[in-house]
Amino acid sequence: MQNSRAHLWFIAPALILIFLILMLPIGLAAAMSLTDYALGNPGFNWVGLENYERIFTRSTYERMFGATFRYVAVVVPMSVGLGLGAALLIHSLTRFGNLYKTIYFLPVMAALIAMAIVWEFALHPTVGIVNRSLEAFCGTPLELWRWHANGCENGFPLWLSDRDYAIWTVAFIGVWQGFGFNMVLYLAGLTSISPSLYQAAEMDGATSGWERFRLVTWPMLGPTTVFVVTITIIRSFQVFDTVEAFYPQGGGPGKSVYVMMFAIYEKAIQQNLMGIGAAITIVFLAFVMILTLAQRWLVERRTHYV
Amino acid sequence: MASIELSRIQKRFGTAEVLKDVTLSIADREFVTLVGPSGCGKSTLLRILAGLEAADGGTVQIAGQDMTRVRPAHRNLAMVFQSYALYPHLTIAQNMATPLKLRDLSRWARLPVIGPLSARSAYRAIGEQVRETARTLQIEALLDRKPSQLSGGQRQRAALGRAMVRQPVAFLMDEPLSNLDAALRVHMRAELSELHRRLGATFVYVTHDQAEALTMSDKMAVMMGGRILQFGPPDQVFANPATLDVAEFVGSPKINILPGEVDHDGRVSALGRGIPARLLVDGRLAKVGLRPEQLHLDGGADGWLGRVVHRENLGHDLYFHVALDADDQRLVVRGAQDRNGAESLGDAVRVGFKPDRALFFAPDGTRLHSVVPAKLAESA
Repeated sequence: MQNSRAHLWFIAPALILIFLILMLPIGLAAAMSLTDYALGNPGFNWVGLENYERIFTRSTYERMFGATFRYVAVVVPMSVGLGLGAALLIHSLTRFGNLYKTIYFLPVMAALIAMAIVWEFALHPTVGIVNRSLEAFCGTPLELWRWHANGCENGFPLWLSDRDYAIWTVAFIGVWQGFGFNMVLYLAGLTSISPSLYQAAEMDGATSGWERFRLVTWPMLGPTTVFVVTITIIRSFQVFDTVEAFYPQGGGPGKSVYVMMFAIYEKAIQQNLMGIGAAITIVFLAFVMILTLAQRWLVERRTHYV
Repeated sequence: MASIELSRIQKRFGTAEVLKDVTLSIADREFVTLVGPSGCGKSTLLRILAGLEAADGGTVQIAGQDMTRVRPAHRNLAMVFQSYALYPHLTIAQNMATPLKLRDLSRWARLPVIGPLSARSAYRAIGEQVRETARTLQIEALLDRKPSQLSGGQRQRAALGRAMVRQPVAFLMDEPLSNLDAALRVHMRAELSELHRRLGATFVYVTHDQAEALTMSDKMAVMMGGRILQFGPPDQVFANPATLDVAEFVGSPKINILPGEVDHDGRVSALGRGIPARLLVDGRLAKVGLRPEQLHLDGGADGWLGRVVHRENLGHDLYFHVALDADDQRLVVRGAQDRNGAESLGDAVRVGFKPDRALFFAPDGTRLHSVVPAKLAESA
C-alpha cells in the first residue's frame, strides 16, 4: 500500500485542472505584474516592483482604493441586512410570500446594463423621478430637514455626476441589485430551522420576537450568514458593469467611482498596459483572499455546529 | 406542582377532526401517559396542553386556573421534545441556563458582557442551580460540551435538565425515548419513573409504545381516532380493557381474538368449545379475547387442534404461533415456563386456555361482561 502510486492517479485530474485554470493564470498575472508588457509588443522589460509602487503611491490608485472600499463598506452590510430583513418578513407571511419573493428577486435577474439605463433616467437631475419627487415635497414639513431645504433652494444633487454623491448612488444601486439574492439564501436558511427549536424557546420563556431571534434564528442562520457575507464581499469587490454603464470614460466625476475592476479593465484592455493591469489584479486577489480567510477563521469555526 | 384539567378539547386540521371532545383530568403529582397509534391525536393534545397549538373548542385548566388563552411561556410548563430541541450553538450549561435567564433576569441583565457584570449575583445563582440540576442527572461532566458532542442518551438527559432546572408546575414529554436504542430506552424508563418519584411533579407523557405506558405511568389514557377510549391505571387497562381496540392495543404480543357464539342461555362458545361465562345477550355473535399467557399447548383432548407455524424466542419467554386446523385462525400462545421449547415447528398441538380471564366483546367492539364470575360459571 505504501509504495502504491494509485493515489496520485486519483487526485491527478483535479490537480491538473486546478493548475491549468487557476494556478497557471494567477502565476502568469503575477509574473506579468513585474513587467511593462503590452499586447503586440515584441518584447518586454522586467521592472521589478515598479507597478506595485505606482499602485500604492499615485493618487489615481488612492482614489481607486477609496471608491472600492466605500462601495464594499456600503453594499456588504446593507445588502446582507436588507436580505435578512426581507427574508424574515417574507418568512413570517402566510400569503403573498411568493409575490414579494419575485419582486425582490427581479433586480437580481434583470441585466444590470439595461437597468442602468432606467436608473440613469430616474436619477436625471431635472426630469428624473427622484429629483421630481423631492421637488414635489418642497414647501412641506420635510423642509425641516436641512438637506432637503437646501435642495429646494439650490437644486437637488446631480446624483450620478456629483463627486460627493456618485459612489454612494452607485453603491445604492448595488444594494438594490444584490440584496434579493441574499434574501433567497436567507429564506433557504430559515426554512431549514427546526420549528421545535422555536417551540422550545417559547416554553423556555422567550416571549418577544427579538428574544426568539437572538436565541434561535440568528445562531441557526450562522452558516448562511458566513456564506452570504463572503459571497457579497467578493461580488462587491468585483463591481464593474454599473460603473462601465454610467461612466464608460474614466471612472466617474473626479475618478470617485474608479473601482478596482474598472481600473483593471481600463489599464489592461483600454490602454493596453498589461503590467499595471496585472498588478492591480494581484492586489485585488490578495484582498479577496485575505477577507475570505479572515471570515473562515473568525466565524466559521463558531457557526458550524454539527 | 399542579393538577391539570382538559375539558371538551376539540381540534381540527382542515377537514380532519383530530380531537373529538376530549376530557381528561390529571391529578397533582400524577404520571399520566397518553398512548395510542400514530395519528390518534395524542401529540396534538399534549401541544394544546402546552399551548403550542390552539384548540378549536374546550378549555385547559392548570392548577385551577383557566389557561386556554395564555401563551405557552406563561403557563410555566416544561417540555421535553422528541428531537430534544437543544440549542446547538450553546453548551449544555448555557442550554440549561436559558429558561432561568429568560425568566429571572431583566432585559438589561441579559445583555452580553454588561449583563453578567451588572447582575453578578443573579448569574451566580443561575450557575448554581444549573450545577445542582446537572448533579441530579449526573451530567456535570457534560456541562461544557455542545449538544453535537453528546450521544443520544446524554442529549436526552440534557433536555431533561433544561426542563427540570426551573421547577415548572408540570413536565410534558413528547415521545422522549423514541430516538434512543432499545437497551437505553428500557434503562431510561426506569430512570424517568424514579425521577418522577423524586421530583414529585406532574408528568404528562406521550408515547406510541404501550410498553412505556404500562411500565412507567400511574395512569394511562389510551387514545384512538381523536378520543380517549380508556383512562385508568395500567394494570386495570390491561386486565379490564373497555373496548376491543384497547384490548388489542395494550399488551404484547397482541391479544388473540376468536369468533364466539352466544346461545339462548347466554352461554358462550368459541370455535366449538364452551367457555364458562354467561353474557346477558343471547343468540348473538361475540368476540372472545384470550391473551397469549392465558393459552397453553397442553389442552388435552378438547383443546383446539393446530400446528406450530412459528416460534418467537424472546429469551425470557417463548411464543408459539399456532395455525388452527378447524378454522382460518392463528393463535399466539406463550410456551410453558418449565418445558420451554419442547414443541418445534410443524408439530401438531392442542391449545387449551385458562378460562377465568377471557374477555368478551360485542361485534361492534364494546365490552361485554359476564354476569356470573367465571369461576362460578365453571362450577355451575
